[in-house]
Amino acid sequence: MTFDSNAFLIIFTGSLIAISCGFLGVFMMLRKMSMTGDAISHAVLPGIVIGYFVSGSQRSLEVIIGAGLLGILATLMIDWLRKKARVQLDASIGITFTLLFAIGIILINLLAYKVDLDQECVLYGEIAYLPIDSWITKSGLNLGPRITWLAGLNFFFVIGFIYLLFKELVLTSFDENFSSVMGIPSKGVNLALMSIVSYTTVSSFESVGAILVVALLVVPPATAFLWTKSLIPLLKLTAAIGISISVLGYYLAYWIDSSIAGMMVTVAGAFFGISVLIHGKKPAWFRGTSPANQPFGV
Amino acid sequence: MITQVENPILEIHDLTVSYDQNPVLWNVDLSLPGGKLVGILGPNGAGKSTLIKAIMGLIAPTSGYVKVFDKPLNEVRSRISYVPQRESVDWNFPASVLDVVMMGTYGKLGLFRRPGKKEKDIALKSLEQVGMSGFVKRQISELSGGQQQRVFIARALAQEADLYLMDEPFAGVDMSTETAIFQLLQEMTAAGKTVIVVHHDIHSAMNFFDWLIMLNLHLVASGPKELVMNEELLRKTYGGKLNLLTRVTDMIRQKDFNPLKS
Repeated sequence: MTFDSNAFLIIFTGSLIAISCGFLGVFMMLRKMSMTGDAISHAVLPGIVIGYFVSGSQRSLEVIIGAGLLGILATLMIDWLRKKARVQLDASIGITFTLLFAIGIILINLLAYKVDLDQECVLYGEIAYLPIDSWITKSGLNLGPRITWLAGLNFFFVIGFIYLLFKELVLTSFDENFSSVMGIPSKGVNLALMSIVSYTTVSSFESVGAILVVALLVVPPATAFLWTKSLIPLLKLTAAIGISISVLGYYLAYWIDSSIAGMMVTVAGAFFGISVLIHGKKPAWFRGTSPANQPFGV
Repeated sequence: MITQVENPILEIHDLTVSYDQNPVLWNVDLSLPGGKLVGILGPNGAGKSTLIKAIMGLIAPTSGYVKVFDKPLNEVRSRISYVPQRESVDWNFPASVLDVVMMGTYGKLGLFRRPGKKEKDIALKSLEQVGMSGFVKRQISELSGGQQQRVFIARALAQEADLYLMDEPFAGVDMSTETAIFQLLQEMTAAGKTVIVVHHDIHSAMNFFDWLIMLNLHLVASGPKELVMNEELLRKTYGGKLNLLTRVTDMIRQKDFNPLKS
């Protein structure tokens, strides 16, 4: 088989996005906030529209800032509804993201004559067009696909963020009260995580879209969590699953000539289903017995 | 029966806490001396947990203030440690016993810095103190209730604080472990630390605590055990629960519990 640079670029970009989303998804899952990722991915729509309206371009910094701010706003709203208005978490997520998404749709319609944008741009992406959308500098230098650069930048942000705040993320995920008592700003850590989730969601829109990005946030971490109960292996396994679904997703989509992002998520779902089945059937002897408890010496 | 002290390590002034306009603690005003093992007693719903959460600033009070080491809370956070109720976290979290105990050292480490050898040694020593040395690598999801509780106490120890607040640390812990932990707490107070424990077993409270706070929405009593452990104050604290109270007074009689003698 000859080296297909387009295939490589698509798989490479897909892996970068899947790993970024997966790593963030691990922490979202541990905080029982996986669906907050869903909320954020939809709630950023008004931010994108406003950013687009201000800058006149779908690919500007304003769009990312607008989306990021709306992502944070959505997080704050969910938190406020839950703590102050005493609404259940799932209901407050439902209220927040549908409301913000609806405002986004109204804004698109109001600004329709000025903005070349519709909901579809946000909800669905297509990674297959990536090789024909190159980043060309003013001097005419072709630097390669723009989306790959975006995904790479995002990947480094996510890795850097998790590396720097690893212990804070773990502690606030496990026991928020304890971290507040010690003076670690759990609210700040939470908002930082939500901002980077918003940013990741927005930067992945063009390639996979808002709906499938949620799957990448939720499914690989959930699958990995079936196999391991410690954090570092969990992150590694999530990354491995991210890469596998990109490779398999690409070739399966190529084979039946369908959407790559859709196939990636389908493969992820299949991985999850297989893991559940195998794990449910794993016999007790396979797991071994636990060593005898040591009595507590008084 | 409220004993106020000079140079208190913890001063609570006129504290009122409410949830949704319903006050759950009224005008609590007390001060505690340092180096004591302090028990908070009271029936269910008396506001015991609420009181320690308010002390740590986890719940904003409606009125009043709390001063720890004669300073506002935010200046002394690294000197305060907390043992939350076991049910407050998800024990399926992917972490080992050592990981959780190491968390106690994070407050002193500060932002961006990683725990190293020194923090690991502190954590191992803390685990040894609660008798969990054999479980260092164990995943926390595989622990029993009593073991989880001991991991939480070890995590608080690893923080090397001066004031410890513990919310029902003996729930689901067997008798021998309870005694061993009480001994550990007594060693800590002998070393000058202050330990405040929310507790519901009056029997062991009589044996181990130096100072008792009795609470039932209002502050009923706060003072040295010898002064406050009597039938009248217990009756005031536990209200009409006569059955329980008769048993307790029986117990006091049987044990020939004479506060003045000890």
